[in-house]
Formats: sequence, structure tokens, C-alpha cells
Amino acid sequence: MITGILTGFGILLFAFVWQTSLDGINRKIVGRFQKRIGPKWYQQFRDIFKALSKTGVTHGWVFDFGVMMALGGIMATVMFLPVVGYSAFPGMDNFFIFVYLLAVGMLGMAMSSVGSGNPLAGIGVMRALTQMVGYEVPFMIVILGIIFGHNTSSLSELAAIQQASGIMTWNLVKMPIGTVVAYISLLGMLGKKPFETFIAPAEIASGPMVEYGGKQLGMLMIMHEFATFIEVTLFVTLFLGGATTLFGFIAKYFVVYILASLISNALARFKIDQVIKFYYKVPITLAIVQALMVVFLGWGV
Amino acid sequence: MDNTVEKQENIRKGWDGISRFFRANSIWMLMYCTGCCAIELPQAMTSRYDMERLGMGPMATPRQADVLLITGYLSLKTLRRIIYAYEQMSTPKYLVAFGPCTLNGGIYYDSHAVINRLDQYLPIDVYIAGCMPKPEAVMNGFNDLIGMIKRKEANGWKKYEQNKDWYRKNQIQALGELRIKDEFHE
Amino acid sequence: MDFILSVPAIVVGLFAAAVLAYLLTKANKILGALITVLGSGAALAAMLMLKGDINSVQSLGALGFKLTDYGWFFSVLMLLIFFSVSFFNLYWMKKIIHPAAYNFLYLVALAGTVGAFTAKDFIGLFIFWETIVWASMFIIPFGKSRNASVVYYAFSAFGSLSMLFGILYLYSKTGSFDIQYVLEQASMNTTYALVAFITIGIAGLVKIGVFPFHLWLPKAHGNAPDTFSPILSGGLVKAGGFAAFLAVIVMPSYKVFASNALFLGRELAMPVPNYILVFLGAVSIVVGTLMAIKSEDFKKLIAYSSVANGGYIIIGIAIADSLSVGGAFMHMFAHALASAAAFLSAAAVVHRTGTTKMSELGGLIHRMPLTYLVYLIAIISMAGIPPMSGFISKWMLFQSMIGKGMVFTAAAAFFGSIGSFLYVFRPLSAVFLGQLSPKHESVKEAPFLMQVPMIGLSLLTLLFGVFPNIVLRFISDILKTAGLDGLTLNGLVISGTNGQLNPSLVSLIFGIGFFIALIIFIIHPKSRKVDLMDTYTASEFIYTPELLHYSYAFYAPFERLYENAPSTEKWYAALIKKIEEAGQLVSYTFFNNKPRIIVFWMVCAVIALLWGGSL
Repeated sequence: MITGILTGFGILLFAFVWQTSLDGINRKIVGRFQKRIGPKWYQQFRDIFKALSKTGVTHGWVFDFGVMMALGGIMATVMFLPVVGYSAFPGMDNFFIFVYLLAVGMLGMAMSSVGSGNPLAGIGVMRALTQMVGYEVPFMIVILGIIFGHNTSSLSELAAIQQASGIMTWNLVKMPIGTVVAYISLLGMLGKKPFETFIAPAEIASGPMVEYGGKQLGMLMIMHEFATFIEVTLFVTLFLGGATTLFGFIAKYFVVYILASLISNALARFKIDQVIKFYYKVPITLAIVQALMVVFLGWGV
Repeated sequence: MDNTVEKQENIRKGWDGISRFFRANSIWMLMYCTGCCAIELPQAMTSRYDMERLGMGPMATPRQADVLLITGYLSLKTLRRIIYAYEQMSTPKYLVAFGPCTLNGGIYYDSHAVINRLDQYLPIDVYIAGCMPKPEAVMNGFNDLIGMIKRKEANGWKKYEQNKDWYRKNQIQALGELRIKDEFHE
Repeated sequence: MDFILSVPAIVVGLFAAAVLAYLLTKANKILGALITVLGSGAALAAMLMLKGDINSVQSLGALGFKLTDYGWFFSVLMLLIFFSVSFFNLYWMKKIIHPAAYNFLYLVALAGTVGAFTAKDFIGLFIFWETIVWASMFIIPFGKSRNASVVYYAFSAFGSLSMLFGILYLYSKTGSFDIQYVLEQASMNTTYALVAFITIGIAGLVKIGVFPFHLWLPKAHGNAPDTFSPILSGGLVKAGGFAAFLAVIVMPSYKVFASNALFLGRELAMPVPNYILVFLGAVSIVVGTLMAIKSEDFKKLIAYSSVANGGYIIIGIAIADSLSVGGAFMHMFAHALASAAAFLSAAAVVHRTGTTKMSELGGLIHRMPLTYLVYLIAIISMAGIPPMSGFISKWMLFQSMIGKGMVFTAAAAFFGSIGSFLYVFRPLSAVFLGQLSPKHESVKEAPFLMQVPMIGLSLLTLLFGVFPNIVLRFISDILKTAGLDGLTLNGLVISGTNGQLNPSLVSLIFGIGFFIALIIFIIHPKSRKVDLMDTYTASEFIYTPELLHYSYAFYAPFERLYENAPSTEKWYAALIKKIEEAGQLVSYTFFNNKPRIIVFWMVCAVIALLWGGSL
């Protein structure tokens, strides 16, 4: 138990350092694509700690409580993640824990931001939740296929099954349609363009984040890094066969995240009803086709 | 008793030093594009001068921002709103004024609708010269601001808090009243 | 076994308490309401003490009572909900038109519920079932609308008559009313089984409010007195789960129809009747979710969410393996606690502000923090988020659905589960968060006796979310007596078909995460407290809190996507119109004031009576 919790802390620390550095590297890469020099690779650390050191405002207890609930829920989720064979609680890394424990964090953030009394935050949360209905359903249907096919919902077991014989047993190869759907859903989860509607800085003044400054903003930035880590790691574990070495994990993670970011920089933003219409036309159909293939034809098992 | 107070003071100073390092290298801007100087900001931000390498970036709301950029002349109507925005910012906060209009009224020095000296109403940390200031000047101004933050000289916000009565008096003198009625909804 | 502590005694006692409450309310309203608290509390205590007497049989005159284990489970759940809600009666005596009748019917409904769940014979079941229907039918118009009561009765009558038909049909075939015996006989013959399945199943579906019988829920729950809505949603609706359980598992129809299963040989092999139930459940999840997202009324929203949750329960029972039925039972338990708590917090809001329209409220968290917390815990459970008990049941249901590979049902369930985040957040944001309207400036926290049941229900939700195995062990026993496998429970761990869950561990880790976040929060500089109106408005000056409160048509962009979808409501409206027209036709034909036509029909009737046999 104690070792499990300590492992969890280790994963937490790794997640923070790696994802925050990668965010800085990502900003640098995006800068280079725009013919700029870009910031230092550790710029994201400086931003977070700067925000933490400032004196912000608070709009009452729920404003602070929600932030703590958000960060706490997300950190708890990270501690359950299996990373490179390390799992804090072996056998307990059930897929549904991630979906629903992640929701605690999201609920906390939504609560806190609407608690500020700013209508823009309310609109942002409305859009975020609506978008969630969009991307989560196709994603879960694809995962249904995976869990049904491999008969386990434990992430580390799913990774182990995929590592059986190299790249040919990856779900990327076995369920290519599902992978594409899941990647589109991942873009929505990460809030990358074209699914960036709920932040939309030029339109609703960064939505849920509108009233945050100071330490609350810093904590939400940390939360955002963790949430990104969870989502990308889920994708890597479910479709790219997880990883047995740290280098393999980092390489796969890098490719997935940077590709999402590059797609984001090439596209414009959808309106929120366009987001829903898109997700409920193309990805959901593909997801159902994929799941039916797994359930009835036994393809990709 | 004194010892603990001293210790706490030292710790606070230590933290202050560390946070100043972060603050100097991560400056988020809130652009209040009042006048023509705003047109120089896009060049400073994009590939030619790339402001992001200094750790600067645009932000959406005053709560998140560290520095308020006032780009040009200020009419009385705008001044009210600038004061509102400035007071909403999280401390420490800085204020950078562009062009001569904020210094002495510039070419609008004799207009009845425009204020001449911004520092009567809000504390200014850095002025950037030029009408309009070239992007080089803008970048130079930001470098100055970073230096000032590192040297603990960018204390405009403290000055504002200490001399709030004086500022308030000037503000009310110029504007009549600081906050106006909700003009769209009443 | 003595009669003092037995099921008939509880039922009789509750009826006696009802009469007493009626008389005392005439003298003193508060005293009468106190009787409802004491009566339901005593009944709950007695029922808890009867746990050792499960499977005992008693009779009271012609009525037989048998305390089955699932009957005990349902009875305790109902008594708990009635007991919790009864505290609110104390404060509602002034608001209700006929307080004496209300208190009387409240206890009669409770007696009916206990009787129905413990009846040995079908005839007893039917009598008590009707007692519930009639009692609640008279209570509902004490609220906002009489029409709601008509709608409720129309649907309930359909269900009850369907059950009555089934009971009498089975009696004519088997010659007995005994539930156990009749169902056993029915399971030997496919035709009898089908009749029993359809008739009792329909009674269950109507009661639980599954599509297409879902319309009475928002009408009745939304318009009933604020103290009776939690009873309807948390309590009485679950009686439908009881009937469905009788039809599917106790009979057991899934074995009777096993020969004509679809997809034989696959994991998702399931008899056609069960598939129909699953389909209806899935549709009601989607319909309930979409309608709840659209609602502008606090209570109607929770009522529609009950439709969606009823869908989960029906799906769980219809899949009929131990994990799914266990999940359905756990879901009934969790949802009863959560929706009762949510309705109670709505009642507390009504008590203080006098409205349930979400767009008129806002910012109440600054005046009623405890009510807010109760609602928060309730919705966390309803949305199926750990560490609340709703998560456990949803996890079990998902395990079962995925284990079977039911793609479309699971898609509906996922949609309902994510959609529930949308609709449960709506009241949170519109009623409790956001800007405080000046007219609610002087609102106070709910009074102490209203806080007691709300806190109690929240603590139970949390307790069974962290340690669900307390309940699951008992549910596992129920499943075993019903002929299914028990659940795989190991200490604090629940095992499903493709994974295991340790809710206590999840809660512990969440606690640790929250603690770290708290430390991060504390060591950093203190924030400056500002007023709610001091928000970012692009530096525009706005002094009207209502203008800064985003609450009306919250999900407008999403609602727009399905505003033209076909509506069951319109279908029923068309049906009502046709029935009215048919009625007019009949009354024109038979009951008009033209004497010759009446004479003609009288002659016809006489002919029919005289020579009816030979015609």
C-alpha cells in the first residue's frame, strides 16, 4: 500500500516534469513552424511558478474549493496510470476509473469557474461539457471494442497483450479505424483546434479560465498538464502498445502530442454545434463499425 | 519573538527573489489598444521580433495578465475603463505606456476629450518613445521592463496602493465620477 | 414468532398511524406531521430488526405476507426514503391545502409500499400496489397542478390493469394466487410465462417510467408537492424495478425463453423479450437525458434524469447476469438516495425562495452552502463519479454490457452517462453558483430539521460509495436465492467480467490528491477577496446581477440540434385527441337527448338480454 502510494508519487512527479517540459518544447516547435525562435524549453515551468507566486483574487470559498478538487482529482487519476510497466496499484488500473475520476477534476474546475459569477465562464463550461458529449461517446465505443476483444479493462494488461509480438499486435494495426476515431477524440479531449471552442480566447475570453489569476491559475495550469498527460498516455497505452522502456514511452508520447499540436496549428476553430454534428456523423459511425467488426467478426482480437 | 519575525522576513525575501526570477521571464500582456501604437504590437509578436522568446505572450483577461499595455492616446471614456481593468489585475502588475500621447497628450494635447498625462491617474513603469514607437523600441521597452523587475524597480503597483487617495482624487477630478451608470442596460 | 415485530404488524401499524396522523393534524398540524416522522422511523427500525426473519411467512386475515430478501431490501430502501423526507413535512404543513389528508395519505402510501414488497399472494400485491397509486394520486394535486394527477393516474391505471389481467389469467390457469407458486407454474409453460412477463413487465415499466411510459414522471414529479417529489422519484418509482425483477429474474423468464434467443452462441445471446426490455431501457436513457438537458425547471430536470436512470435499471435487470442484476440493484439503491437528496435540496430551495425556475435563481451557494453540498454529493452520485455510490453501479453495468459486447446499448449508456454531466451541472450552475440575485439577498440556510435528513442521505451516499461491499454482500445473497451466481467480492474489491475495482482505494487516493492540492493552495500567497460583481466584463460597467448570470437556455447550441426531433408528448396528445373524438362519437350515438334513439338502443339491449345466448 505504502509502496503503491510512493510509486504513485513517482509517476506524478514524472508526469509533471515530462509533460511541462514537453509543453515548452512544443511551444518552441510551433514557434519554429511560424519562423520564430520560440521560448526556452522550460518556459512552461516559469509560467506556472510565476502564476503561483502572484496574488490573485478569490470569489468565495467554492472558487478555491473547486480548484483544489480539480487538481486533487486529476492527481489521483495520474497516480493510477501505469507508466512503463510501473503501476502504483497493479490490477486496479481499470479504464473506467480514468474516465470517471478525470470527471471529478473537470467537475471541480467547472464548479469553481462558474462560482466566480462570470457569465463567460458559464458559457465556456457549457461548451466544454457539450464537446465532452461529442468526443467521449465515439471514444468509449472504440474502447468497448478493445475491452471486449482482449477481455480485460486493465490498462497494464491491455499494454502487455499488445506487446506480445512487436508492432503487429498493436491496436493501431489491428483496429486502424478505431485508432483514427480515438485520435480525433483525443484532439477534442486535449482542446486542440478545431475543437478549441470552449477556450476561444478571442471570443469568450478563455472561457472557464476567465477569472483566474495568481495561484488558482497556477494550479489549473498544473491540472491542465496532468490532464494532458493522462489523455495522451491513455492513447499511447491503448493503441500504441504502451511501452516497456522509458525511451519508448517518451518517443511515442512525443509523436502523439506533437502531431496533435501541429494539426491544431494548421486548422481553424469549429463552432460548438459544428463540433457535435461532426462527432456524431463521422467518428461515431466509424466507431460503431469498428466495434461491430470486433464483436461480430472477431477482427482485431 | 523578534527573531522569528526576522526569520519570516528572510524567508519572504528569499521567496521574493525566486518569484522575481519567474516574473521577469514570464510576462503576460493585456493589450488595451486605445490608439495607433497598437499597430506596432503584431510585428513585435510575430516572426520578425518574436516576443515569445522573452517569455511574453498575449492573454485574454486582466486577471491573468501581468502587464497592461496602453497603446496611445486616452479619451476620458477609455480612462474609466482602463482604471477598472488595472484594478482588476492580480498583483504584482506593471503598466507600459506607448508614445507621447500618454506622456503629454502628443498631438492631441489641446483636445477636450483626451487626457494629457497618464501618470496622474495610474502609475507607469515604462514609457516607450516614438510616434508610433518602432518594433525595436517596443522590444527595447520590454527588455527595460524585464530588467526593472529583476532589479525590484518596477514598483508602480505598490506606489498606486500607497498613494491611492492622490490617484483617486486626480481620477475623480478628470472624470467627475469614476464608475458610470450601466449605460446599455438602464 | 411474535406478532408485535412482524411485517403485518408494520403494515397495520402504519395504517393506524395514518389515521392517528389525520386526527392529530386536525388538532395541531405540527403534531400530525410529527406522527409521519415517528411512524416511518419506527417502521424503518422494525424492518431493520426483521433482518433475521427473512423468509418468514405470516398472514393477516386473508392476506399472506412473506418477507423475501429482495422484498426486505426494497422495503428498507423505501422506509429510509420516507423517513428522510418526513422531516420536511414539518415545514410544509402551512403550504399544503389539506395537511390532514396529506399526512394520512403519506403514511398510507408507505404502508402500501411495505405491503406490496412483502405480499405473499398476487392479490395482496395488487391491493397494496393500488393503495400506493391511489394515495399518491390524491397527494399529487396538493402541489401545482391537477392535470399532473390525471396523467399519473392514466399511466398507472394502464400498468395496474395490465397486472390485474395477468394475475387473473394466471389464476384461471394455475388456480392459485401465491406469487412463488404461480411464477413457478408459469415458467413451465411458455405461453403462461409470456403473459406473465408482458403484463407484470408493463406494470413495472410504467411505474419506473421507461420509454414510452415516461411522460408521467416529469408531470407528476415536477408538479407534486415539493416534499412528495423525492418520495416519487427516490422511492415509488423503484417499485417498477421490483415488478421487473419479479417478471425477469424470479420467474425466471430469461430461462424460459432461452430457446428463442438472438445471437445464439455469442456472448450477447439473450432472449428476444429481454432484448425488447434492453431496447426500451436504452431509448429511455437517451430520451431522458435529452429532455433533462432541455428542462428549465429544477424539479422537472431531476424527474427526467429519473427516466434516464430507470433505463439503466431496466437494462441491468434485462441482461440478467449476476453482475448486471447486481448493478441494477445497486443502481436502484444509489439512485434512490441521490435523487431523494437532490429533490430534498430542491425542496429546501423552494422553501426559502419559493420558485423552481432555474433562470430566476442563482448564487444561492453564498446563502445556503449546506444545501449546495448536499446537491453536489447527490449529482456526483447521479453522474456516476467516484467516490459516490452511483459510480459503483454504473461501473458494474458497464462491465456487464461490455462483457456482452452490446455495442448499441452501451453507446446509449455512454451517451446517458456523459449527458448526465450536462444536466446535473445545470442546476448547480444556475441555482447555486453564478450571481446572487438581489431579491434573494436575505435568503437563509435551510432550517435545522431539514438539514438532518439531507446530511444523512449524503453521508449514506458517500459511505456506500467508499464501502459498497456492505450493500453488495446482501445483493449477492439476493442474486443467489434468485438462482443467479453471486457477485465476486473480495474484501474491499469488486471483480467484474473484465476488471476489478477497489472503491476504497480510489477514494483514498482521491483524498491524498486533494490533500496535496490543499497544501499547494495553502503555501502560496493569500488571494484578495472580491465581490461577485467584480468580474471581467471587458471593462464595461454592469451593475445588474441578473445580466451577469448565465442560466436561461443553458445548452442552447446543443438543444438546437434536436429541437425538431419526434416527440412522444405530441404522440400522446394526438392519442388523447382521438380518444376524445371517439368518446364524442359514443356519447352522440348513445347518450343524446333524442328519445327515439334511446328507445332503439333500449330495445336492442332487451333483445340482447333475452336472446343473447342464442344470437
